[in-house]
Amino acid sequence: MNDDLRSDDARGSGWPVAELDPVRRLRVLATAAPGTSYGELVLDVPVEQVWTLATDLERQMPLLINDIRTFTITSTDAEGRPLEAVARSPLGMRARFDIVMGPGSCLMQSRFLIGGLAATAESHDTTRFGFFGGLRIPGVRLVDRLLHPFLHQGAVERFAAQFRS
Amino acid sequence: MATDQLLDRLTPYIGRLCGPIALADGPDAAQEALIAVFRNLRQLKEPAALFGWARAIAVREAVRVARAASRDLPAELADVPAPGDPQLAADVHDVLERLSPHHRAVLVLRDLEGLDEHAVSALLGVPEPTVRTRLFRARRRFRKEWEG
Repeated sequence: MNDDLRSDDARGSGWPVAELDPVRRLRVLATAAPGTSYGELVLDVPVEQVWTLATDLERQMPLLINDIRTFTITSTDAEGRPLEAVARSPLGMRARFDIVMGPGSCLMQSRFLIGGLAATAESHDTTRFGFFGGLRIPGVRLVDRLLHPFLHQGAVERFAAQFRS
Repeated sequence: MATDQLLDRLTPYIGRLCGPIALADGPDAAQEALIAVFRNLRQLKEPAALFGWARAIAVREAVRVARAASRDLPAELADVPAPGDPQLAADVHDVLERLSPHHRAVLVLRDLEGLDEHAVSALLGVPEPTVRTRLFRARRRFRKEWEG
């Protein structure tokens, strides 16, 4: 179909276009990943400050996800954005993650795990921060929250606590 | 990441449908529409029908979100410009503000999406003559005011 043509028409004629901010986008992605949990809160901190801390993945991933002991960036692009990382669990299990970093959003995916974080300015000095993660194994929807509740609202609250200390 | 890529592909299209119907609530409507799309993706039998299928979901969600936000202002399609009208760009947002979400949905599907009356009628569950009559009357009135 001629979606691209219609797109030009819409932009050129003044029809309003709805856009997804990074947190709304993350909510959609979290919904599309059935074995995951999602948490979100508003911080009294400017978005630049939140995003700088959030994208320090080597420090933040072990804080946000109990099952990750270390998270090491192993590959970056020309601008220093992470592309790959290796995570190790407390039991020594190893997982390689692909990372997609965008403005205000970051997605990470290994063979068995998926996660993401996003930040959007609510006002000049407040930020909405969202985080989701979990297993990406088929059929995990029913058992995940019973057997493996490693991600929930507590993750974002641990993240927020860093700004209070 | 396949989901990420599909979301990037769908978001601009869904945003163009939800924006004119839900107006200030467009981002929420787009989010709800995309959530509904991904939750029900397994129901889509024919990949080529993705955009048409997503369009029906987006319009439904945009009307629902706009109405829930109490922006359902009763109005007739009285001042709606036709496609290509020189005053369209300047007036389209003001015109949309005066319409109900249901009327905005008719307008979007007919004039932005280019669907015929039969398709608009089927998608919205509105009788075909009603769609046709409202649009005809709307454009005639708009033209009258513009030329007068």
